[in-house]
Amino acid sequence: MSQPARLMIIDDDPDFVAGIRGVLEGAGYQVDVAYNPRAGFEALRRRPPDLLLLDILMGRGAEGVMLARKMRKDPQLSQIPTLIITGVREQIAFLFPGQAVHPHILPVDELMEKPVDPQLLLDRVKALLDAAARRREAG
Amino acid sequence: MASEARVLVIDDEQVVLDSCRQILELAGYTVATAADGASGLERVDDFAPDLVFVDLKMPGLSGFEVLKRLRTLDPTIVAIVITGYATLSSAVEAMQKGAYDFLPKPFTPEEFRLITRRGLEKRRLVQQTLALRREKEMLREHFATIVSHELKSPLAAVQQNLLLLSTEVAGSLAEAQRRRLERVMGRIDALLQMINTWLRVISTDLDKIKEGFRPTAVGTVVAKALDAVQPLAARKGIEIQTAFPDALPPVWGDEGTLVEALVNLLGNAVKYSHPDGRVDIAASLEGGRVRITVTDAGIGIPPDELPHIFGDFYRGTGGTAAGMGVGLGLAITRRIIEAHDGTITAESVPGRGSTFRLTLPAAVAAPPAPASSATEPTQAARVGGVG
Repeated sequence: MSQPARLMIIDDDPDFVAGIRGVLEGAGYQVDVAYNPRAGFEALRRRPPDLLLLDILMGRGAEGVMLARKMRKDPQLSQIPTLIITGVREQIAFLFPGQAVHPHILPVDELMEKPVDPQLLLDRVKALLDAAARRREAG
Repeated sequence: MASEARVLVIDDEQVVLDSCRQILELAGYTVATAADGASGLERVDDFAPDLVFVDLKMPGLSGFEVLKRLRTLDPTIVAIVITGYATLSSAVEAMQKGAYDFLPKPFTPEEFRLITRRGLEKRRLVQQTLALRREKEMLREHFATIVSHELKSPLAAVQQNLLLLSTEVAGSLAEAQRRRLERVMGRIDALLQMINTWLRVISTDLDKIKEGFRPTAVGTVVAKALDAVQPLAARKGIEIQTAFPDALPPVWGDEGTLVEALVNLLGNAVKYSHPDGRVDIAASLEGGRVRITVTDAGIGIPPDELPHIFGDFYRGTGGTAAGMGVGLGLAITRRIIEAHDGTITAESVPGRGSTFRLTLPAAVAAPPAPASSATEPTQAARVGGVG
């Protein structure tokens, strides 16, 4: 693991992106950003990252959900570990404190609510990357 | 405008049908006629009338029956009954059964035009009311999404950057500056939480959770609630004691919202306890109902406030500013418990502490929902098997 892991953020809020990008780059990750689902999908296909951070409620509707569904149909993209970051937990399910319900839009996804605690973010990113590495060794 | 309106006339007298058609078509309406009730009702689907005239006295299907079926087909269609003078009392009866008005025979073209205009005006009002109601429901349903995105997103972005900033400048801040930054983030956190809570109250239709009711283990609900409250309790040095009998039947309900209700009660108990105090949660079975009691030895609730604590936007006056919520926790808790066909009560002695008692139906037999169990005869057996 000489190369730092490559992460991609797809989120339409530049300020929010700046907030988590700083955390991730500070931890040594290489971070690419796309600010809309279309550019994001193209970037994903051009160069799939090691991990994706995806906002599922971009634009007028849940365009991020559409993007995730498109990814799921693609054999390669569906394997990218994805951290779904959303500002609206309420709409995903009827929820209560501390018990985030998983939408499980992708085979390997985790859900976090905005704003994200920086250390928690780094922990989740590392856990997802480690799990992916273990799957690669096993598979 | 008038030409868009569609009028159906149902009468067994061909003369009446012909003259009605002539009058209405001259006035620019689209007209359909039927000589009896059954064929009239058949036209409702394809012709989609705004207004229907029904003769009360017809062979075959009576006018009353046509009215009744018309209402089940589309209650927004305005119906006016045509009747002879001799049957005025039945006209009144027809109006009681949902007809908008009645037209006594014989009638002049002018009378007919006038009542048609009135009937169509009524139809317009009915449709407008319906559209407004639909819009209101839409707004209610989507309000959460709109508010979430428009209010929470910018706040989340601000908070995310503050979190980053606080780590970036961590070493170079004076103690007072560090505390100020912490307070700023604390206030934004509180604001985000407040938006979340309001959203829950405004946008949640608690009746919907009933669809997902199943036998739910009380132990699991309590354990999950304790998990959520434990960090807060630990920070204040408060010990939460649990007391459960060995075998407790499951309750009939929705785990998620029950956990939320208990988190609210336990959270309050911790919040209003003195540091290093103690909170008790106990459960027992009493007459087919599971009773859960949350007791604290905290500051208590003044007697004059006690009757209001389960109301919306109630805020206790006893707490410190830092411990204040937005006053919706207990209101949500009450709604959740009531949606579960449960009860919640509170007792309190200022300076001594408070006790909240709630009861929930145990899921030992069939669920307390006669309508659904009637259509699903296997439900009782299935519930019995699980519980």
